[in-house]
Amino acid sequence: MIHRNLLSYRGARYLWWSLGLIVASCALYVTQGDSQPPNGGTWQGYVLGTVGALLIVWLTMLGVRKRRYSSTSGTVQGWTSAHVYLGSALIVTATLHSGIQVGWNLHTLAYVLMCVVILSGLFGLYTYMSYPQLISKNREGGARAQLFAELFDLDRSARSVASRCAPDIAIAVDSSIERTTLGGGIYSQLFSRDGSYFVRGEGKPVRNTDQQQVIDFVGARLPRAAKGAEAANLQQLIVLLCRRQAVLRRIRRDIRLYGWLKIWLYFHVPVTIALLVALVLHIIVTFFYW
Amino acid sequence: MDALLRELREGPDGIAEYYDTEISSKQLTIGSAADRNIQLLGRGIAPEHAMLVLAGSQLMLECRRGEVVRLNGKKRATARLEVGDVIELAGHRLRIAQPPPGFNAAIELQPNDRIDASAFESAFRTDLSQTFLGKRSLAWAGVLLVMVFGLLLPFFVMKLHHAGTATPSWIPGDKFWNSGPLHQVHQQAIGDRCETCHQKLFQRVQDAACTECHRTTHDHIMPARLALTELGPTPRCASCHREHNEPQTFLVNRSDSVCVDCHADPEPGFGQIKLDRVLGFALQRHPEFKPHLLVSTAVPAGSGFTYEWKTLVTELDKAHEQSNLKFSHQQHLDPNQVLRRGDSKPLNCADCHRLEPDGEHFAPISMEQQCSSCHELTFDPGAPDRQLPHGKPREVILTLQDYFTRKFSDPNAGRATRERRRLPGREDEEETCTGVPFDCAMRSARKEIESQFTRRGCIGCHAVIDTKAANVFDRFQVIPIRFARDYFPANRFDHRSHRIQGKSTGDDACLSCHAARKSEDASDLMVPGITKCTECHGDRAATQRVTLQCVSCHEYHPRDPTLLEELRNGASTRLTTTLNRETKPAPAGELAGS
Repeated sequence: MIHRNLLSYRGARYLWWSLGLIVASCALYVTQGDSQPPNGGTWQGYVLGTVGALLIVWLTMLGVRKRRYSSTSGTVQGWTSAHVYLGSALIVTATLHSGIQVGWNLHTLAYVLMCVVILSGLFGLYTYMSYPQLISKNREGGARAQLFAELFDLDRSARSVASRCAPDIAIAVDSSIERTTLGGGIYSQLFSRDGSYFVRGEGKPVRNTDQQQVIDFVGARLPRAAKGAEAANLQQLIVLLCRRQAVLRRIRRDIRLYGWLKIWLYFHVPVTIALLVALVLHIIVTFFYW
Repeated sequence: MDALLRELREGPDGIAEYYDTEISSKQLTIGSAADRNIQLLGRGIAPEHAMLVLAGSQLMLECRRGEVVRLNGKKRATARLEVGDVIELAGHRLRIAQPPPGFNAAIELQPNDRIDASAFESAFRTDLSQTFLGKRSLAWAGVLLVMVFGLLLPFFVMKLHHAGTATPSWIPGDKFWNSGPLHQVHQQAIGDRCETCHQKLFQRVQDAACTECHRTTHDHIMPARLALTELGPTPRCASCHREHNEPQTFLVNRSDSVCVDCHADPEPGFGQIKLDRVLGFALQRHPEFKPHLLVSTAVPAGSGFTYEWKTLVTELDKAHEQSNLKFSHQQHLDPNQVLRRGDSKPLNCADCHRLEPDGEHFAPISMEQQCSSCHELTFDPGAPDRQLPHGKPREVILTLQDYFTRKFSDPNAGRATRERRRLPGREDEEETCTGVPFDCAMRSARKEIESQFTRRGCIGCHAVIDTKAANVFDRFQVIPIRFARDYFPANRFDHRSHRIQGKSTGDDACLSCHAARKSEDASDLMVPGITKCTECHGDRAATQRVTLQCVSCHEYHPRDPTLLEELRNGASTRLTTTLNRETKPAPAGELAGS
């Protein structure tokens, strides 16, 4: 239960830190006086900006700390808890630093990048809080590899049984196994797109979404089965195909949940790097054109 | 091609079993995907890993890009295959065998039984890391974009601008560094040419960049005066005028601290310059107003006097106008004494005092414009259409002499008036004088001149000096009248915005500050003090108080620094009136004041 510990780490110690930071930022903001509109150029603005920049650098260091297994500077859990709380507070500090003045410029670019990082992080936090439970529930405690092993065995058994059936059934089952899609591109993984086909009688591939069509095709042959053995094979085949359908559903859901659990990092991490560069430029350019 | 695939497996009893499969296809595909001709699972086996194709009668191995197999112990991506060659893939062994008749190829497959079926996952792309998404590539792309648009392109455009080369406005050059919009006027004049103000990298905007255009803006303290103090140089323009901010109304720093930082304690640095202590605008925080008044002194010059006007800065409670005018506001505002000509209504303030377009000053009052509608300069009741010229004593004397000369010499001249009206009890000189007509005329004229200057004409409003000189032209000297145009030349005040005060409007609003109803003498300076202002205003926001900042009334940059310098030095030589025969006096009846 990493999320429980993440947010309630040491009695949510960093929640209080971040609330303190927010209150301090607001206090600085409102003391900016009436000589100029609130902006990053007042001494309060400089303080907020410096705090924000240092915070960004420190938040980035989580990526380094995570990989230093021998480090003794706090636990990764503590770091992550602080990362989440202080990172959320950063949005207030940085917004107040900007004086809520935005435009089509480098400075706002840095701000927007920071917002993307923080929002993707919050989304990540949400998935970390809710998805692991969904994933383990879907897998029923097992590993994804077990589901694939089961699928492989079902494939092999289904092919074996199908080979004993009429040729069109064998082709249908073989092709449904061969043309089963799982995962794939980003969209397919995140939205469980099922592009499965199977070849029915006339040799034309037809859609086989959720394996239902091949099950229906085989099932439709059952009443017409001439011999008892054929009927038994078909019966067995239908059971295998249905089990296969259930396993495929689990795998698809697993891939989807896992995809959402990870997708935010593909924004969070690269945008953080771009943010660091934009942040450095923001600071340099401020003094370029003082 | 037609291929025979023989799979060797160990049966339950340990005896090897063969499973033969005949495959007819263009090529023999190998990989972990379910649709491969030879489906092999294991670490490192791609869904579509390799294929065997027939080139003529030669069997060839072709791996998919990026994939390799071990052929006879060596890593290979492509190869010609001979009988006996062994392809190894994750422990699976594929041996090329002599094809039996009717087959192009024969392969013996010895699967790696230790491979777990869970490796089947590798046949599918089930992780985002297997897609084109990559944290590293995305990060590089982001860094590249930020560097190009955030640094390289702006820097390049900046260099072009410095070299005098214009760039199209759609290119996001160094304006991408702009932290906020320019004031509209600056934007209109400067556009995107940042180097107009930001002339050197890492250097604050210099005042010279501002004064390049703002040439007529004067510094707060003139260099000569600044030298009298121990203060350092005046602050940079940009320390108060902050650009690139929203809202743009803040381009001028209106904060009191700009002034109070120095003026709260003027002792330490101000050196020889003595200034009052100012903390803001409230009774104990701001000194009482000090009006600038005009004072005249008569200096003998030639046969007459020259009146020199000097500006006197005094305490408000001791201030008296020394305008040389005789006038009672109380009398003029009393409806029992004065009514307007025409509609017979009481006089309004605005009947005489006309606000100028600047909203602060009032137009000078002149005899001709304001007074003459009631106060005619007639001198002979028998000739009510004849009036004396105003402001020209010499002309007055000449007019009277001319009038009476004509009256006594022209037999028809006086008849009309004589017949028209005759005042009872008033002796007519014309009838009693029996001498030479010219002498009679001069005598009558002299009498009237004396009367005008000493009893009933000029003397009503003006101070007149009777020098007792024999020459009538030198005898009477009318002291000129002059009011300061601006009692507080360094300040601003908007009369318009004070025309309605609470429920007071019109004259009531005027009289709520200017105690004209009680003023019987023109020497009363009816300028209210700070106490009056603080009834409604303060420097801090409060209920029923309108906030005033220093710059609401004062200007940081003096409009006309030379005038202020003169006023501070005491003498104002430009305001000189001369009164003598040679130089004609300037119109002496001008009244002014705000």
